[in-house]
Amino acid sequence: MAQLALVIDLNVCVGCHACVTSCKEWNTAGAAGPMTDQSAYDKDPTGTFFNRVQTYEAGTFPNTETIHFPKSCLHCEDPPCVPVCPTGASYKRKEDGIVLVDYDKCIGCKYCSWACPYGAREFDEEQKVMKKCTLCVDRIYDLNKPEEERLPACVMSCPTSARLFGDVHDPESDVSIAIRERAGYQLMPEWSTHPANHYLPRRKTTMNIHQDELIRADNPLKKEGLLSDLPSDKQTLDETTSW
Amino acid sequence: MKIAYRTIEGRSRGYFALFGVLGLFVLAGLGAAHHMESEGHWITGMNNQIVWGMPHVFAVFLIVAASGALNIASISSVFAKTAYKPLARLSGLLSIALLAGGLMILVLDLGRPDRLIVAMTTYNFKSIFAWNIILYNGLFAIVAVYIWMMMEGRFNKYSRTVGMVAFIWRLLLTTGTGSIFGFLVARQGYDAAIMAPMFVVMSFSFGLAIFLLVLMASYSWSERPLGDATVKRLKNLLGVFVAGVLYFVLAYHLTNLYATEHHGYEAFLLLGENGGGIYSNLFWIGQVLLGSLLPLALLYHPVTGKNRVMLGFASVLIILGGLAQMYTIIIGGQAFPMAMFPGMEVSSSFGDGVTASYAPSTWEVMLGVGGFAMSLVIVTAAVKILAFLPEDLSDEIADPHTASKST
Repeated sequence: MAQLALVIDLNVCVGCHACVTSCKEWNTAGAAGPMTDQSAYDKDPTGTFFNRVQTYEAGTFPNTETIHFPKSCLHCEDPPCVPVCPTGASYKRKEDGIVLVDYDKCIGCKYCSWACPYGAREFDEEQKVMKKCTLCVDRIYDLNKPEEERLPACVMSCPTSARLFGDVHDPESDVSIAIRERAGYQLMPEWSTHPANHYLPRRKTTMNIHQDELIRADNPLKKEGLLSDLPSDKQTLDETTSW
Repeated sequence: MKIAYRTIEGRSRGYFALFGVLGLFVLAGLGAAHHMESEGHWITGMNNQIVWGMPHVFAVFLIVAASGALNIASISSVFAKTAYKPLARLSGLLSIALLAGGLMILVLDLGRPDRLIVAMTTYNFKSIFAWNIILYNGLFAIVAVYIWMMMEGRFNKYSRTVGMVAFIWRLLLTTGTGSIFGFLVARQGYDAAIMAPMFVVMSFSFGLAIFLLVLMASYSWSERPLGDATVKRLKNLLGVFVAGVLYFVLAYHLTNLYATEHHGYEAFLLLGENGGGIYSNLFWIGQVLLGSLLPLALLYHPVTGKNRVMLGFASVLIILGGLAQMYTIIIGGQAFPMAMFPGMEVSSSFGDGVTASYAPSTWEVMLGVGGFAMSLVIVTAAVKILAFLPEDLSDEIADPHTASKST
């Protein structure tokens, strides 16, 4: 069975929030909308967001680095928010593994919000039902859209292509290959919720070079270092010969 | 000796004044709920981190106390202690009333109370929350039948059986309420099996404190005799329950302190680190000192233990301490940030990863107090309509030991 998911490359995410705003824009206009905002432009914006970017510092000063971590519903394969829902409004689709909320069945008791270990649940304070990332279920199956646009809004908008979308159960999909070959990991796997979304870790390109690799073995004059500059009025050999 | 039950007269100015004041609180609560409902939940202090606020503190407290208030009736019919028999009807009434008040708050604090019918008809049996809906409704029905069996002379013989069912049901109910928190694996403050029995003992304590207050107030205001033997029995029992709650709280925290994983949460709650000052103050000053140790001293001190005003004061302190305990459990547990990136300092423009702040809005407090008032309105009305209260609870009548000595 398919399990659609996002794979997010933390190596190239720059924390620009384009995914946050495009998600908000699409979903406000879509089936989940409107997504209430109380103070969208103040210092501490509040409101319903399906996708948020957390920033954290790894390491100890001065050896630190900043990591931007976009987080939305991880569409767990064993989602703890589903069994706790008293009315069954919270459910996981069999056909593609998307975890959804039936907005007509939700009574707004917010118990799923307690159960989600990832803090991915969002209570819409005006419609008073629980909402969350739908993986843009109303985009990805929309046959009126050109095929290349049948992607979640956040994936479409990411300027660094940090977000990949696909079926993690298909071993040949882009996302599966990325997870396999680039050490993709799940957030808090110790919960055994098996999040479908994966993260690709930060990567560093380093190489070990030994000192003897930097000294020429074949150097009869034993002269190391740069050659002295030629006077600018002299010709070099390259300019006078054809070889 | 035969116990004579009689309705209270309920024509005095004091009775109507009490009714009026409680009614005003109920109306204020309903008004607040309507306001929150029409404006949206953004006017409350709740947010995406603190999803259950002040109304839930009151609601869970009242629901827990409701099952505890039934204890007196259980002691009389299940454990056949005749001294408690005259109090059994009031115990059943208080149980229904407190449950009704708690559920009023709970339902009106739902995002969509208009969809209550969905909650009643569509059950997901894997959800402890769904089980609680069944447990709450069941307690109403069972206790109503129980009171009926006790009141109708022909059916008195069944009251023991129904009382047994009610006793088991109330234990299940409080286990269910405690498990709402005990089953929560996602947050540091919960995920503990001890929550269920702890809630059961909390219910004993809170329910009896309210019972003792209502009993003393109704007998004093209706000028009926209430003997010292009955009061002494209840206050000694109350002391045992208060100490029992402290024991469970101690066991819970000791377990957490032993496991390194929970040290952050314990430092937050017990020492007020990481922005937990309000919760540690509520815990130490509200719950432990004023809500447990001081009442224990008042209940067992040879002087204050005989003074009914002091016993009433101790009961009020236990109730306030119980509310403080609920606040630290419910709000404190949510405010503590989830351990998503252990050891990392997380920041975001949305307030994730930091200790969540919560300031209850007036509307939420009004709804909570309104529910409490609703419970008392039900009791005040019911004792006038049906014969819940024995006419005379003086020692010779109420206490069989004293009675047997005098004859």
